[in-house]
Amino acid sequence: MSEVDQFDSALDLLRRLNPRETSKHLDSLISLVPSLTEDLLSSVDQPLTIARCRKTGRDYLLCDYNRDGDSYRSPWSGEFETPLGGSGPGGVDDQGNNEGAGEGAVPSERVRKMEIRANEAFDVYRELYYEGGVSSVYFWNLDDGFAGVVLLKKEVAPPSGKSQGSWDSIHVFEAVDRARTAHYKLTSTVILSLATGNDNLGEMDLSGNMTRQIESDLPVEDDTSHIANIGKLVEDMELKMRNLLQEVYFGKAKDVVGDLRSLGPLTEANREKATHQEMINSMKR
Amino acid sequence: MASSELDIVSAFVEGAPPGELADVIADIKALTVSSPDTISQLGPAFEKYNEEQFVTVKLPGGSQHVIVSSYNSLGDGRYYDVESSSSFAFNHSTQKASAVQSHVLESSHSDLVKSLLKSLGAHVKEHYPNASYGVYPIEDDSKLAILVAANKYSPNNFWNGRWRSLYIYSPSSSSLEGSIKVDVHYYEDGNVRLLTSKPVSASISSDSATSIVREIAVAEKKYQEEINRGFSNLSEGAFKGLRRQLPITRQKIEWDKIAGYKLGQDIGGGSSRR
Repeated sequence: MSEVDQFDSALDLLRRLNPRETSKHLDSLISLVPSLTEDLLSSVDQPLTIARCRKTGRDYLLCDYNRDGDSYRSPWSGEFETPLGGSGPGGVDDQGNNEGAGEGAVPSERVRKMEIRANEAFDVYRELYYEGGVSSVYFWNLDDGFAGVVLLKKEVAPPSGKSQGSWDSIHVFEAVDRARTAHYKLTSTVILSLATGNDNLGEMDLSGNMTRQIESDLPVEDDTSHIANIGKLVEDMELKMRNLLQEVYFGKAKDVVGDLRSLGPLTEANREKATHQEMINSMKR
Repeated sequence: MASSELDIVSAFVEGAPPGELADVIADIKALTVSSPDTISQLGPAFEKYNEEQFVTVKLPGGSQHVIVSSYNSLGDGRYYDVESSSSFAFNHSTQKASAVQSHVLESSHSDLVKSLLKSLGAHVKEHYPNASYGVYPIEDDSKLAILVAANKYSPNNFWNGRWRSLYIYSPSSSSLEGSIKVDVHYYEDGNVRLLTSKPVSASISSDSATSIVREIAVAEKKYQEEINRGFSNLSEGAFKGLRRQLPITRQKIEWDKIAGYKLGQDIGGGSSRR
């Protein structure tokens, strides 16, 4: 069996096992089939980790796209944070440590300028929509344009109850330059974990992740247009996904519980259904 | 295969969502192709999974699905069903039953078991569109295990669900102890899971099947209402607290002007909280 099939099987398994424990399952899969390590780490979204930028003191988010070996690049300073991660050009350290996005994690001067603007813009976005949390944007160069990832994370634990939640947004995009327009391809994943519990309810965990993709051609005048275009695409996508998550978590999941067990007596429900059907039939006559 | 590898794949088996064990096994097969004897070593993991999940199986020649659990195990992969007075062999990896034999219940509580099955049957029929149930003497005939397992599988629509109730009735103390668990999996372009668990305990006023089942009905109704409340609490609480549907201005962002936005001022209501 080829590695491609094993990769598909690993993804299929991750789509079935408890999404609350994706990181644990990912570690298991990697130790089971080490040759899948890089492919899995770059394609499976996990809850984001928060770090504090040494230079600016601001929080930022870690992912595979700003990782080089054990070090991560801060979007606020633009620098890799630990000496191990390579102070040399392209984030390669003196031991040739170049895992994760590696030197690809370092954008060119022009793209870094856009990255700085995008971080400022999504910091505003974060405050408007999340009223807290942490955001980070990472850009990198492509041969015919650039690519990037927009990350947002928020956690809540209301003091009143035992309910808690966390939201992680991971938006990966490519922007390919064309004459006066750019072609954008956006793949978005939201990881939403919710839990609540008390003596009457016991434990209730409602967790998961959903992924959606869109492609779009949008006009580009200058580099500022890119920030606005990506901003609109991410904003629309998050609105769509928030509605979708609401539907699945609080609509579909609840409906399935109702399908498993009927709160009201079934004979009554069936009788009502039969009466209703009879009425419809008599109207047809 | 190293024991740690066996632990890993056993944990995958244990985490299989309702109705998806065969899919999980297929994935494990593909991932352990270099150690082809893995699946054959997973017998204990399959057995644990099936017994803990109260997996149901249709007996050859029968019409009803019956439960597989540690409470009706006869050992050597055989289980029994009281209502059909039969025992059967169960293959834990294919989840199929075979070799049905007649099996007569021997218990000092056999009258109570039979009347419980009758009352429980009426209760299950009234509230579960598709469920199996069973009552089995356990612990040297000192207690009765009462089980309900409801499954609904809709893989074409990418969702599956399971409701499990377990009650241990102790005639000596007239007490009922148990747990209810719900497991729902939705996996269209994603992976969403509802997992709930609730301990149940009640004391029974009179030692009759109808009063035991009445307590069960009350506990299950109350619990289902609590779950529904849990959904609204999470929706109105944590979910709303994570991300707003729209900014407080009720308008989408004007991205062309984003450089001019000042946090906490122009955008009104944006707090400086981090």
